Amino acid sequence: MIKAYSENYFQKTGIEKPLAPRESRWREGWSLLKRNRLAFVGLVIFLFFFLTALAGLFLTSGTKPVFDPAVVRLEEKLRPPLSHAKLEILSSDRVPRLGLYLFGTDELGRDVFSRMMQGAWVSLTVGFVAVGIAVLIGILLGGISGYYGQNSIRTDQIFLGVILLVGGSLVVMGITSLGIILLVIGGLLLIFLRWLKKRPVKGLSNAWTRLLSIRAISIDTFIMRFVDIMLCFPSFFLILTVVALLPASIYNIMIVIGLTSWMGTTRFVRAEFLSLRDQDFVTAARALGVSDRRIIFRHMIPNAIAPVLVSATISIATAILTEAGLSFLGLGVPPPHATWGNILSDGKNFIFDAPWLTFIPGVAILIVVLSFNLFGEGLRDILNPRLRERS
Amino acid sequence: MLSFIARNSIQKVITLFFVSVISFLVIHLAPGEPSQVDPLNPKFTPEMVERFRQQFHLDQPLTIQYAYFYRDLFTGKTVSWKDNQPVLKKVWERFKNSLWLFVVGTLLTWTLSFPIGIRSAIFRGGPYDRSATFFSYLLISIPGFFFAYVLIIIVVTTLHVPVIDMETFGLGSPPWYRWVMDRIWHLLLPSLLGATGGIAVLSRYVRSQMMEVESQDYVRTARAKGVPEEQVHYKHALRNALLPFVTMFGLILPGLIGGSVIIESIFAWPGMGRMAYEAILARDYPIVLTVNFISAVLVLVGTFISDVLYMVVDPRIRL
Amino acid sequence: MTIRKILIIVPALIIVFLLQSYFWVPTYEQQSRGNPDRLNEYITASIGDASLLNPILSADSASSEINNLVYEGLIDYNEDLRFRGRLARSWKIYEEAFFYINDNASVPSMGKVGPEQIIELLLKAKKRIPPSNPQEKASLENIEEIVLLPAKEFVITRLEKEGKTPGQPKEITIRVTAPPRIKLVLKEVDQFLFQSLSRILGEDYFRTFNGEKYVRITPEIDPVKRSKVVQEALPPTEHNPVIIFQLRPDVKFHDGHPFDAYDVKFTYEAIMNPKNLSPRLSDYEPVKEVTVVDPLTVRIIYKRLYSPALGTWAMGILPEHLLNDEALKKEAIQSGKDPDKFSMRQSRFNRHPIGCGPFVFKEWKSDQYILLERYDQYWEGPPHYSRFYYRIIPDPLTQEMEFYAGTADAYAVRPHQVERLKQDPTYQSFSGLSFGYSYIGYNMRREPFNDPRVRRALGMAIDVDKIIEYVLFGQGERITGPFVKQTDYYNKYIQPLPYDPQGALKLLEEAGWRRNPEGWLEKNGKRLQFTLITNSGNELRKAILTVAQDAWKQIGIDVRTDILEWAVFIQERVNKLDFDALILGWSMGIEPDLYQLWHSSQTNPYQLNFVGFKNEAADDLIIKIRQEYDHDQQVAYCHRLHEIIAKEQPYTFLYVSKWTAVLDKRIVVKETDAEGKVIYKKITPTKTGNYMFYFNRWIKLPETPLFSGEG
Repeated sequence: MIKAYSENYFQKTGIEKPLAPRESRWREGWSLLKRNRLAFVGLVIFLFFFLTALAGLFLTSGTKPVFDPAVVRLEEKLRPPLSHAKLEILSSDRVPRLGLYLFGTDELGRDVFSRMMQGAWVSLTVGFVAVGIAVLIGILLGGISGYYGQNSIRTDQIFLGVILLVGGSLVVMGITSLGIILLVIGGLLLIFLRWLKKRPVKGLSNAWTRLLSIRAISIDTFIMRFVDIMLCFPSFFLILTVVALLPASIYNIMIVIGLTSWMGTTRFVRAEFLSLRDQDFVTAARALGVSDRRIIFRHMIPNAIAPVLVSATISIATAILTEAGLSFLGLGVPPPHATWGNILSDGKNFIFDAPWLTFIPGVAILIVVLSFNLFGEGLRDILNPRLRERS
Repeated sequence: MLSFIARNSIQKVITLFFVSVISFLVIHLAPGEPSQVDPLNPKFTPEMVERFRQQFHLDQPLTIQYAYFYRDLFTGKTVSWKDNQPVLKKVWERFKNSLWLFVVGTLLTWTLSFPIGIRSAIFRGGPYDRSATFFSYLLISIPGFFFAYVLIIIVVTTLHVPVIDMETFGLGSPPWYRWVMDRIWHLLLPSLLGATGGIAVLSRYVRSQMMEVESQDYVRTARAKGVPEEQVHYKHALRNALLPFVTMFGLILPGLIGGSVIIESIFAWPGMGRMAYEAILARDYPIVLTVNFISAVLVLVGTFISDVLYMVVDPRIRL
Repeated sequence: MTIRKILIIVPALIIVFLLQSYFWVPTYEQQSRGNPDRLNEYITASIGDASLLNPILSADSASSEINNLVYEGLIDYNEDLRFRGRLARSWKIYEEAFFYINDNASVPSMGKVGPEQIIELLLKAKKRIPPSNPQEKASLENIEEIVLLPAKEFVITRLEKEGKTPGQPKEITIRVTAPPRIKLVLKEVDQFLFQSLSRILGEDYFRTFNGEKYVRITPEIDPVKRSKVVQEALPPTEHNPVIIFQLRPDVKFHDGHPFDAYDVKFTYEAIMNPKNLSPRLSDYEPVKEVTVVDPLTVRIIYKRLYSPALGTWAMGILPEHLLNDEALKKEAIQSGKDPDKFSMRQSRFNRHPIGCGPFVFKEWKSDQYILLERYDQYWEGPPHYSRFYYRIIPDPLTQEMEFYAGTADAYAVRPHQVERLKQDPTYQSFSGLSFGYSYIGYNMRREPFNDPRVRRALGMAIDVDKIIEYVLFGQGERITGPFVKQTDYYNKYIQPLPYDPQGALKLLEEAGWRRNPEGWLEKNGKRLQFTLITNSGNELRKAILTVAQDAWKQIGIDVRTDILEWAVFIQERVNKLDFDALILGWSMGIEPDLYQLWHSSQTNPYQLNFVGFKNEAADDLIIKIRQEYDHDQQVAYCHRLHEIIAKEQPYTFLYVSKWTAVLDKRIVVKETDAEGKVIYKKITPTKTGNYMFYFNRWIKLPETPLFSGEG
């Protein structure tokens, strides 16, 4: 499905207007966004969530935070939302801000509002970092595949790569001596091949050089086959496996989600690059002798990035949901980090006694994810020139 | 055609080989050991742990372990470390249970998405379309387990009937029709929950396909000719909009395994996803690897089928 | 338009068809009305599945729950946690003690004497006017028979590993020319026997016995190892406690095969068989031999004093005829496996168990249910329930939903759920103390936990009563020491630590920790700072972690917390002794044997005394408890040990939680009185808090009955 989508895209966004002034494009987008009411609401909620998360970061951290999510008040457990703190039994430094439990308290008497504030930032980080990793890998691999795709990998490079890889993994596995030997051999080989390229030695038979420089596989094929391999793993199951096997930590979760969701972006960017490569303005730039790097970073990426960002917005929503799912299975972000996902999965045990412990985080996740989705979808519509013409 | 099939299958087999290598490495290079022996059980001595390792070839180098594992898998000799049961037998039992969820879920997805999507496309921009859009995003955005709990609690507290597991316990031996109905009732909620995401995504896709087709010239022509509106939608547009969906039939195959872990755990449904999840927690590597392998095979077979279908359906395409 | 109609009608039909199935499913009230058989079924829900239904191989709680119903042990515990006979009708414990004649030592006022004179001396001492020392008196009176065993020669060959270098162990031959030996048959086990005898035979009589000269080892081994080998081959003194079980006649396994003493012997041998990797091996390691006296009498001789021995025979007995070598070989050949590598672990028996307990195994669907059926020939009379379902529902909340829907009679109910269900007139609820406790353990090798004042202060800063009241919903009690609270071993006179943050601060000040301007406790410029860890997946421990962190922060201790996955927690932290403080719990047997947990020899990595508790007086008591067979004496030792541990505070003992259970009120105890009239009684927990004790007499009724005495 993803493939079908990206190819549609490349047809749709086929005609760019590189000469049009920048502002008008933004302004046009803005007016379109305002007209798409769902997307606009999505954007507003998204911004609100972002500000909340930012505020949460500052208001709940430090030694004396404004909202302290860690204060345990056992006598005050499971108080419903908007109930007043019992001032007579709490010492002054344990009373919540405003003397009020805005979202109630949990089973240990912690203020749910403070915890939600703290969790907003963590949830947001998980989503952004995970998707950031995925997008970076996607742009890198997709870009290489799209721009340098026709170039081939030679046998000697494969040979070298295998030696270095095996050596490296042997070192990691603990068979250090053999690994280091292989790594050294690999290093020497690298220098030797470099040197060989610069001044061919007559002594070496031609057949050998030829054997070493057979074009075995094109970079494009190589990367796309790798994408195929990664797509063979059911993604949630793969995430689950890795997260369960690795020690639980917030970084592992972000990295794993990121490392398992870059394939779509890669295909996407590749298709985009392939089409851009043959555009006139790129050809012109190349004819002018502009360096590859400049072409890629100045001309191609800016043109390819918009649809990537759209899908990234939606991916963030997915990442937040994935984290919540992992929390439910007990494999989510471990304490002391509160995320909305683990507040929700902790709260579900008390769903009859304290429904707010389930519903507040549940509905919050729902709203935020919904806003991401709507906003992303709105953006997609705006960037879709065909729809633009029609409206 | 034949050469395409041959080339494609060779490619798929190579991919499969790499998948098997990668999944094997991921699992075996992760820190920690199988919890076949509870580390804090004072009754296990280090020698016994050592013997377990020998029994499971864990003391051999990885390459040999890999060879052992896939040799056993293909000869059907792999056994689960947890209970010494043959893995393939276990997987088959679970597969049958998951299959029902999958069938009903798919049926719901595919029958519901089309009317919803088509109607949205016909009345695009109207209140129906907008609310359909909103609801489909709502369904995608809701955390699955949260939704499941809310539904279960509503059903159980208002109707007082069991919804968990595959059947009602303590029914004794009812007549067959009652037994069937009971099973269907237990299928309803989990398959509905499993289908929500699919319905939302697919109906959106139907909608965009319909809109795409309806803006094509021949539809405009038909309309200009004075063909009744209904006929334009359902005959001219729909038939062509359906084309890409034929290929999607192949792509639903992997859904048999992935994504059902949470639903199956909540509903105590003894399916593949739950088995795999429990195997991961217990580090029962043979099960994890087998499930992974099977799901990779399903993905590859699925894409293969969809490629072939694409060729069959669309004469313009020659792969 | 047909296409349009089809597109609408098909999904509508599917949905209607799916929805109508609701009308076929019985509601809670209809469960028993529609299907009277439901009343004879007991359905219990569990979070995890069993692993192996074989009592000698399984180590998890789900498996043992089923095993307890399918298998029967020789004995078990009665309402008062004392032993009662099951497959064994009765048993007798006595002791055979041995010592070698020491021709080096001189007996007071007699000089060096031979074996005959020693016996005479002992007999005389027995007849003499009772000595003033009560222990000596008791020991002498306890002697029933004195036998002289003549000198004999014997040869032992065994494999010995050479030094620390790995490699093939080599065979050594030990030739022993043993001197005459005296065997004493005692009425009761007496751990002080040789202490008492040394008052008669001389202080040094046993100590100076030197076996070296009687032993020749070929090839020679290094002296340290040699003396160890000699010590084993020729121990100067030896205690051999003996248990004789009289078995119940006419008991049959579920397949009709009669049960006899050979099954008991087989079960023991199966545990000891290294091929089976039995987790219970260490319980039976002290057994010297098991002999079948006659088909209904079995004698078990122990190598040394080991008082928890009797309790180990509560384990289920396996049927020999289905699992002996012959049967296993046949199974291996049938299933096409290598008979030499095939062990009981691979046998299909583990999924189709046969025992002689009250329920017969019927069916096991992995991760779905295990079904048992009543055993009509059960020796104590069959249970009332005809079927027992053990359902596996991995989610606690859906377990509750199934309970409401009437498709589970019992589930692992949480304290907060009990709180809510107590009010409901449909249900009855129970709770009782469990066998185990939660604690915070301190790594006593590290600063500042090497100071008992600091440990005590840390304990005093936590308000445990509040934890019990609010976190456990009152379902727990305070505990002050390492014994099961409902047994006599627990010293009830020891008071728990008070909640007293000010007192804690004072204690810390004594230990040198003072508050700095920022409010943190400091000593020599170093902040009082450590990390408290626990394992993931346990909500109570997570809650305690949070509460403790918060409580300690209030008196100025900077505590970090970390929650680790179980395997990492155990393997990386606990086993390698790499922690400051941790929250854990022990679940215990009733036996007061604390050797593994508290003896100073168990403080190395990978051992269970990971807090590093070392106390000489405690070590001495732990050994004595292990060797004492007399209940009252054991209790006295335990109370002293409890005092020492409570004083030292190596753990902050938190609480012993209560198990909780909720049942439908219609489940009652059904009994037949002397006249054959059926009477129904309410289910009541036993004194020790076990509500399932009379499970075999439970039954579910269509309506809640009126109980006599209730009006």
